[in-house]
Amino acid sequence: MFDPILQQILAIARDAWAFMAGLLIVVALLGGLYYVLQGTAGAAFGASRMTSMAIIGVVGLVIIVLFAFLFLPQIGEMLKSFQPAAPF
Amino acid sequence: MNEASSLLLTFLREAWMALAGALLAFVLLAGIAQVLRVSAAGVLGANLWVWESVSALLSVMLIGLFAFLGIPQIGSALQSSLPNAPGCGPISELGTFASALIGGLAALRMLKAAFLSALSASIGGSSSFAHALIECAEAIFGMLLASLAIPLAAWFLGTC
Repeated sequence: MFDPILQQILAIARDAWAFMAGLLIVVALLGGLYYVLQGTAGAAFGASRMTSMAIIGVVGLVIIVLFAFLFLPQIGEMLKSFQPAAPF
Repeated sequence: MNEASSLLLTFLREAWMALAGALLAFVLLAGIAQVLRVSAAGVLGANLWVWESVSALLSVMLIGLFAFLGIPQIGSALQSSLPNAPGCGPISELGTFASALIGGLAALRMLKAAFLSALSASIGGSSSFAHALIECAEAIFGMLLASLAIPLAAWFLGTC
């Protein structure tokens, strides 16, 4: 009875997932570009702290994106395996 | 009475499965939304926003784990704590029907509370985990009350 509704919700959720994954890539690329600019500017000025902060920022951004694309689907698979039958 | 009970319980079971599937989808959506927020806040240098998002991400995962591991256990524990209706005839049947229905509704209500919490977190609101816990406590209290009320009603109406 509820299956057609669930299918509709899941279709919307899949679209939303694809949209947010795309948006995450765009934000990460823009952020990466910003950090590269910051790093090169810091290197040109001789601002070693600015450069190192930019390198740390890029590494952090890469870790966040990897977390989203590798860890979250695994969490989803784990939760799917935990999905309980009705306890009544 | 048995047919009505099995029909209603089938309806509630289907609702449970649909709600569990939707909860899983919204937990994952909330997760990616919070990761997006973390990355945007990290780029902007908004430290507070980053920590808010990290804590929201953790709370959403916690809600999902609680919904999938804790609520069925609470539901089955409470279901087993409800006494079998004493007596015979329609009173007994009514008691069994009521206890099955109360258990199903309470479990579904707890899952609904967890679902609303995950939904709230997925659209950027605060993840009201406390609200889910309050709903669970209310359901437990209601079932405990029902476990007292069923024998009392049977005694009042007369047992054989």
